[in-house]
Amino acid sequence: MATTRTREPAEGTSRARFPDDELKRILYLLKLCRYFDERIEALYRQGRLPGAIYSGRGQEGTHVGVVLPLRPDDSLFPTHRDLSAQITKGLDLKRVMAQFWGRIDGYTRGRDGNSHIGDWSGNRTWTVMSHLPIAYPVALGAAQAYRMRGDDKVAMAICGDGATSNGRWHEALNWSAIAKLPVVWVVNNNRYAYSTPNELEFPVPTIAERAAAYAMPGVRVDGSDVLEVEAAAREAVERARSGGGPSLIESVSLRWRGHAGHDPAKYVPKELLDDHMGQKDPVKNFEQRLLGEGVVDEDEVKEIQGRIEREFEEGYEYALASPFPEPADHAKGLWVEDGYWTSEPGRNGPTEYS
Amino acid sequence: MSQRVEAGAAGHGAEPRGKRTEDGQATYLIAIAEGLWEEMERDERVFMLGEDIGVYGGAFKVTEGFLDRFGSQRVIDTPIAEESIVGMAIGSAMEGFRPIAEFQYADFMTSGFDEISTALARVHYRSGVPLPVVLRGPSGGMVRASSFHSINPEPWFSYAGGIKVICPAFPSDAKGLIKSAIRDDNPCMFLEHKWIYRRIREQVPEEPDFLVPISSAAVKREGDDVSIVTYGAMVHRALEAADALAKEDVSAEVVDLRTVYPFDEETVLGSIQKTSRALVLSESYRFVGIGAEVASTIAEKAFEHLDAPVVRLSPPNVPVPFSPTLEDAFLPSVDDIVGEVQKLSAW
Amino acid sequence: MTTIRMPQLGETIVEGTILKWLKQEGEAIERDEPLFEISTDKVDTEVPSPVGGTVEKILVEEGKTVPVGTDLAEVSEDGAGGGEADQAAGTASDAGAGGAADSGDAAAASGDGTDASDAAESPSPSAPPARTAQAPEPAASGESADAVQEGSAAEMPAVEPATAQGQEATAASADGASSAQAGGAQPLPDRGPRSKILSPLVRRLADEHQLDLSRIEGTGTGGRITKQDVMAAIEGGGAAAAPSAEPAAAGQPAPSEAPAPAPAPQVTAGAGEEVVPITHIRKAIGEHMLTSLQTSARAWTMVEVNVDHLVKLRDRAKDSFKEKYGVNLTYLPFVVRATCEALLTHQEVNAELRGDQIVLRRFVNMGIAVSYDAGLIVPVIKGADAMNTVGLARAVADLAARARAHQLKPDEVQGATFTITNPGPYGSIASVPIINQPNTGILSLDAITKRPVVIDDTIAIRSMVNISMSWDHRTIDGEIATRFLARVKQNLESWDFAEDVSV
Repeated sequence: MATTRTREPAEGTSRARFPDDELKRILYLLKLCRYFDERIEALYRQGRLPGAIYSGRGQEGTHVGVVLPLRPDDSLFPTHRDLSAQITKGLDLKRVMAQFWGRIDGYTRGRDGNSHIGDWSGNRTWTVMSHLPIAYPVALGAAQAYRMRGDDKVAMAICGDGATSNGRWHEALNWSAIAKLPVVWVVNNNRYAYSTPNELEFPVPTIAERAAAYAMPGVRVDGSDVLEVEAAAREAVERARSGGGPSLIESVSLRWRGHAGHDPAKYVPKELLDDHMGQKDPVKNFEQRLLGEGVVDEDEVKEIQGRIEREFEEGYEYALASPFPEPADHAKGLWVEDGYWTSEPGRNGPTEYS
Repeated sequence: MSQRVEAGAAGHGAEPRGKRTEDGQATYLIAIAEGLWEEMERDERVFMLGEDIGVYGGAFKVTEGFLDRFGSQRVIDTPIAEESIVGMAIGSAMEGFRPIAEFQYADFMTSGFDEISTALARVHYRSGVPLPVVLRGPSGGMVRASSFHSINPEPWFSYAGGIKVICPAFPSDAKGLIKSAIRDDNPCMFLEHKWIYRRIREQVPEEPDFLVPISSAAVKREGDDVSIVTYGAMVHRALEAADALAKEDVSAEVVDLRTVYPFDEETVLGSIQKTSRALVLSESYRFVGIGAEVASTIAEKAFEHLDAPVVRLSPPNVPVPFSPTLEDAFLPSVDDIVGEVQKLSAW
Repeated sequence: MTTIRMPQLGETIVEGTILKWLKQEGEAIERDEPLFEISTDKVDTEVPSPVGGTVEKILVEEGKTVPVGTDLAEVSEDGAGGGEADQAAGTASDAGAGGAADSGDAAAASGDGTDASDAAESPSPSAPPARTAQAPEPAASGESADAVQEGSAAEMPAVEPATAQGQEATAASADGASSAQAGGAQPLPDRGPRSKILSPLVRRLADEHQLDLSRIEGTGTGGRITKQDVMAAIEGGGAAAAPSAEPAAAGQPAPSEAPAPAPAPQVTAGAGEEVVPITHIRKAIGEHMLTSLQTSARAWTMVEVNVDHLVKLRDRAKDSFKEKYGVNLTYLPFVVRATCEALLTHQEVNAELRGDQIVLRRFVNMGIAVSYDAGLIVPVIKGADAMNTVGLARAVADLAARARAHQLKPDEVQGATFTITNPGPYGSIASVPIINQPNTGILSLDAITKRPVVIDDTIAIRSMVNISMSWDHRTIDGEIATRFLARVKQNLESWDFAEDVSV
């Protein structure tokens, strides 16, 4: 059954949806992701961060919202912009930061950097690759595995609006529907793929209506409302989990920063940006909402912020204290049999293989 | 829900072993089918996916009978979506399965090039997650199938680094190697030369744990004067050439690489140490082909054992042509091989 | 006389086949008249004669394939004396004459750029010929001796390289251990356009086995020294590769149909056996010993010598000798002194047979056989006849010590005129040594033992020693050999060595 609709804002209060501590946790996650994004950009501009950054600022509603309904053993296949989704899924901030600074304690042991990150064994997230949407077909495979084994696990894949122009996006949706696989397809439509606006990416008004071509339900949600996103995601996840097959969620927001740290994004019209930053800030909106509903007060908000700042500093120190990977290990770890990944990595010399 | 399709011309019934000859020999194709069947029976995490492999039994009938025996969960007919076939393999491998993805022709592997060379080859290096995936398909020419059904893709995918590329030339080797590939925890590309499929047969072991090690070469014919280092269908041409050369008192040794990446340097260099002359024969193109790599390794590591330059014999870097006169000129012929060996002997 | 050589008709051509001789021996021929037809990879063609005259000799028959530069025929010119000795075939001693005479007449067929007029006949290639350092050609060619040009024109030199001089017999001497001097120092002779191309394998094997590549004939294409050639040289024996000088064929390259010798079979150990490969020094020693036996007509004579007084002298003197001179006093210096005198009074025993001539010498370079870890080596005391016992003791001690430390210089292991070996300390009472070529004799000093002897018809106990000599019956006869040994005996029994050791 294929329906396309734009969800109405969630009725009623937040408390109708979640208990207080979960609401506070959601606030904490939103604020953590925002703070992380801002501080990392500052460090980058100060020249204290190697590599590149890909900001997800303004899209926290999408990233946090779609992951909330997932269980720990459900799998997530994100892109380079979806670090907030990975943090929500459970990645350790310290190890995330060690990755940003190319240290051995990062999730990829220095083999990749910044938001090209993932933690399959711990949190079932795919280690991000740049070609998009390279992970969509892989999500198919995970979903296939769940079905073959009779698990009720779910695979979720996130990509941006730009990736929906690519053949693999269509292949993956197509096949998932033919085989009725337990997968949720999320598109983070932040309106721009680098400098390419939506109008040059797809000829139809919305991405969500493409779901009809693939015989699956498609829904378009407002990415600035984390609870709305969460509700749509929950429905899709439960559908998949109960054997109802795949769904498509298009969550609309705006990319507040450039494609990458070096990109000033002058192609984004100023009015659009001002509007989103003013009215459609998912973090500010949720904070206001919780304050308004009395779920939190200003002191608690400050306390959450303080906690976040401390955690960031701790993570930063941890990252800088972690050693760099051993140069002699650079060609190791290609083949399973060389034992690099099943050994403790070398810290004062090449890895000793167990 | 699966339709039963009549067994093919071999007509002996579903199980591949039933398709051996009267005296128990198996063709290269049947040997591979036996290997696949045995590993499917041995380990239920193994499953197969590909275009037309289930109901139809595969374009070359390698998987005939598999659907009936193993069911549609483990023998999956896919849409024509090579990127997704590979993605399926990767994702399911990450979740503990051991998929075997068939490409109807090895030529179509490039339709999934990005998922193979960018994703499949790199996952383990960057995350430690093993991908016990096998990609297999018929490769090579010599059958008038022209450029879209005759490719030798091994250089492209050897280059990726992170995929073992296997090219057997004999039925027993093929069976032992497909079993090894399936049991290997790394991504393996298993290229089955289509010319060999039904033309070469031999006694093939039946032990369930008969394995041929990956990255081990084999001397298929001993000789003293020149080493012909080769793989795939060219091994058979090399053996024919060696017969012709023996009549002229030139003793050629034929080394079958069996795995082209990573290849068995020890056996190859040992042969050159014995003969002091090397002809590297490859059906993959001359420029950046497998021969280029093997030849430069010999020149680098066996320099002081060489009594003549290392010579490569490979087709040029042009699309495989169709017309018999063109394809025959394109490929190294037995006469070409004999001629190059003679030149080396007289150098 | 003009030598006609196989021309190079094309840059990559390395050999040609004689299809047909258009003139026979004794026939007259005019300048520019076709003399023979050849076939190469590139072309079949007639080759005209560069000179007018008479075809004296045809050297290569029809149907044979030979490398570029091979001598094919000789044509005597009109008006030129037939008896001129300036043949193309030369020995080492003809180095100067033969080459110079030929340079002006160099066969046009070889494409020598200096003979513009004569070069007109043949379709000569552009590359100038390569020559060895020895070929006394004017600087016309301008090629360095070491130039290796695959396929370029290479004129066969008229001469044998000087290094081949005298190599037949001397190579077999027991100074094989010093073969290091032979390796690598000399430029390779021109034996074909590819004779200087050395593959990495050939270079390494030559280096490892200390082979002199200039002594190895290349049987590969264009005269290249192949793996088979080198293996044959190694198995054939040590530093001496197959010498290329056959007097009649000097200057000719080996025809390309020379068969390669069969490689040595692999030895596998049987039950209770261990296979140990032999060193190249062992091989060299073996080769020299075998050659020596095959060269000399070896006979053997022994005398008994009463050295009782020498034993007593040594017992008395050895401590103070050691203290005074720093070396041990053995019996060897006494014997060397006694032998030197005998050699000077019986010079035939100190002589050397060279060809049909005996070379007598008025000095003695005494070779002393020394046993060491690698086998056997024979350092030489030069001018031993002028040394006294002390000097000889010092010399023996020094050479023996340096031999064992592998520190002998090349000229310390050559030039012996006579050799002494001393197996006595090991216990033998008589030995039949092998002559150290090219000496005429080798003397063995065996163990000194107390024996019952008859003196004045009574039995007495005296220290006695057997001194024997293997000698070459080609050079001397038994009478001389015996008289010589008797002289040695007399010297040892009658001289007062006490004065000599200053005790």
